[in-house]
Amino acid sequence: MKLKHLLFVGFIMILTFGLAACSGEEADGDSEGQGNGDDNSTADEDVTLHVAALESAYGEEMWRNIIEDYEAIKENVSIELTIEKNLEEVIRPQMQAGDYPDVFLLATDREEALTETMIKENGLENITDVLDMTIPGEDVAVKDKLLEGFSDTLATNPYGDGEMYMAPMFYSPSGMFYNAGLFDEQGWEVPETWDDMWELGDQATEQDMSLFTYPIAGYFDTFIGSMLYASGGADFFNSAMTYEEGVWETEEAERVLQTVEQLAEYTHPNTVANANPNDFTKNQQLILDNEALFMPNGAWVVEEMAEAPRSDNFEWGMTSIPAFESGEGERYTFTFFEQMWVPAEAENTEAAKEFIAYMYSDEAADTFLEAGAVQPIEGMTEKMEGQQKEFYSIYDEDVLPAMGTFASTNPVPGVSISDALYGSIDSVVNGEMTYEEWQATVQEASDQLRPEMQ
Amino acid sequence: MSKKVSRNIFITVCISPAILLFILFMVVPTFEVFRMSLYRWGGLSGSQQFVGLDNFKILWNDMDFIQSFQNTILLIVLVAIITLFFAVFFAAVLTREQLIGNNFFRVVFYIPNILSIVVIAGIFSAIYDPESGLLNSILGIVSLENWQQMWLGNQDIVIYSIAGALVWQAIGYYMVMYMSSMASIPASYYEAASLEGAGKIKQFTAITLPLIWNNIRTTLAFYIISTINLSFLLVTAMTGGGPSGSTEVFLSYMYDQAYGNSTYGYGMAIGVIVFTFSFLLAAIVSRITKRDVLEY
Repeated sequence: MKLKHLLFVGFIMILTFGLAACSGEEADGDSEGQGNGDDNSTADEDVTLHVAALESAYGEEMWRNIIEDYEAIKENVSIELTIEKNLEEVIRPQMQAGDYPDVFLLATDREEALTETMIKENGLENITDVLDMTIPGEDVAVKDKLLEGFSDTLATNPYGDGEMYMAPMFYSPSGMFYNAGLFDEQGWEVPETWDDMWELGDQATEQDMSLFTYPIAGYFDTFIGSMLYASGGADFFNSAMTYEEGVWETEEAERVLQTVEQLAEYTHPNTVANANPNDFTKNQQLILDNEALFMPNGAWVVEEMAEAPRSDNFEWGMTSIPAFESGEGERYTFTFFEQMWVPAEAENTEAAKEFIAYMYSDEAADTFLEAGAVQPIEGMTEKMEGQQKEFYSIYDEDVLPAMGTFASTNPVPGVSISDALYGSIDSVVNGEMTYEEWQATVQEASDQLRPEMQ
Repeated sequence: MSKKVSRNIFITVCISPAILLFILFMVVPTFEVFRMSLYRWGGLSGSQQFVGLDNFKILWNDMDFIQSFQNTILLIVLVAIITLFFAVFFAAVLTREQLIGNNFFRVVFYIPNILSIVVIAGIFSAIYDPESGLLNSILGIVSLENWQQMWLGNQDIVIYSIAGALVWQAIGYYMVMYMSSMASIPASYYEAASLEGAGKIKQFTAITLPLIWNNIRTTLAFYIISTINLSFLLVTAMTGGGPSGSTEVFLSYMYDQAYGNSTYGYGMAIGVIVFTFSFLLAAIVSRITKRDVLEY
């Protein structure tokens, strides 16, 4: 009887201590990870590089191939890959426990905003020197292959100080998508200015079609970006992105907002009701069904809607955002790209930078291209075929590339410039908000963020 | 060792794992939420800056937060009242009346409750579809075209569309709860009442309602908790808080701020408000509905 009691008590004690030990271990990991940002990898030492990548439409296979090729070139490096569709959820707890991957492929503008949080908390390693690195397996420097303009935007240099913290990856032009087959059939010209656009809108209305729709309001980021470029040029765009005083009250900004308000009148009536994460494909379907003519989107939409039913002789077309003035007005198309970066807390920063440099090798670029991902390096368009080539060649015909995003600020509670600028669009389209109110909202958010710029 | 001491040791040893788990997974995190609400922190770095009650001061003037708060209160009130009414009504009908297909209806009413909230979001986005949706089609058939709406597009009514989906999924669950307590009311009460000449409605108000009152009180707290939680899930899956933030509820706003806006401390301040609010509301509701428990 006594023995039985003792055993029972012993068992409970083990359980209790076990639990206590588990929680203790976590705390240990935490202190270990702090301040361990120093690089302890040297050229020939064996390194285990931890790569964390988002599993996107390009698939997982592509990364396995890249790693195999890289390990063949760099024999001292072995790579441990974490690839997940919900990368943030998997990685965040590890990071909070002090266990940081060495390289991330995770773009900004994701709902969980892990990358933005890292930027805002100064958690990224400065990787400007990657540009001067020789690409592993080749004898060219990264900067000699990188397409012009990609390494000096706010999307790679978030603090606007000329230092690169994120490497540009997988670019894709975004613009207005339409049914080229319908335009041929009706004998319509693709509009080059907003005046052409409104004229086409009136013609479409006569045939019970709407001029415009959008998947969700967030897709306006590249659309409004291109319009800001077209309205005031690159410098004006940058002053808007760096929250310059009164920038949204200028004439250039005002006509952008006013144009969107006018566009609202030509927007398909069902758009707002479907502009949510559940139903946005219904808005994209409006283009396939010839119910609306244009929508802002990226090249991925072709793959996304591949299985969807469509009208006869449907053919995807993409065009730039119209110019404001006819004749000399400039047209822009936004280039969207993903980013690769190194956390400041990473253990193998040097090896991580070399891995990033390898991303711009021909070998890696070809592997990526096979999966449909395009690296921003010279000569990629020649390797493409068919529709992809057509989309990527948009800049060949007097259309200028637009790139960049809002400058990073310290986190400000309750204030988000993208909520103010893009989130209000549903209200503007519904007629609940005038462009003046919208302008005031955006200016207010911009004013609140200006002093918090880093 | 006296018997009493050894008994106490035994009890302590037995409950200590549960206490430890409770402290580790309930008390500590809750305390952490309260502590973090006093800091300015992005959520990942080691730099946590103590700011006192600043986060709460900002909350006070944050119109988006106030809107999400209003939306949540509206949802709690609407969902609780409408669900309560229908659930009690159906429960009474199904327990007291001999309907054909009684069991069939029980199952049908309960089904929404076993569906995942994402499936419910899918079902309701099909019902609310502006063109081919069930709701607008039916209104079209019965020639009420001017009642047709953009159920998820019109900012003035979209929150009611959310409430509709929440009520639909909740009725079955609460109905089963009320049915179980109604079933235990002795049939002799109703027989006696009908001999005295009391009609169905009188029987319901004089016998059924008082005898299930305690059960209703308990479910009121459930309405508050489950509406707060489920509205977050439904809004995230169905409208994403849109159009333009008009369906944002306070948990979705908290998530937005803690992660999307990199203001983790501010998000936790919202968490503190949510915690306090639901606690207080449940306490108040429980207090004002207190009656003497009737025994039978």
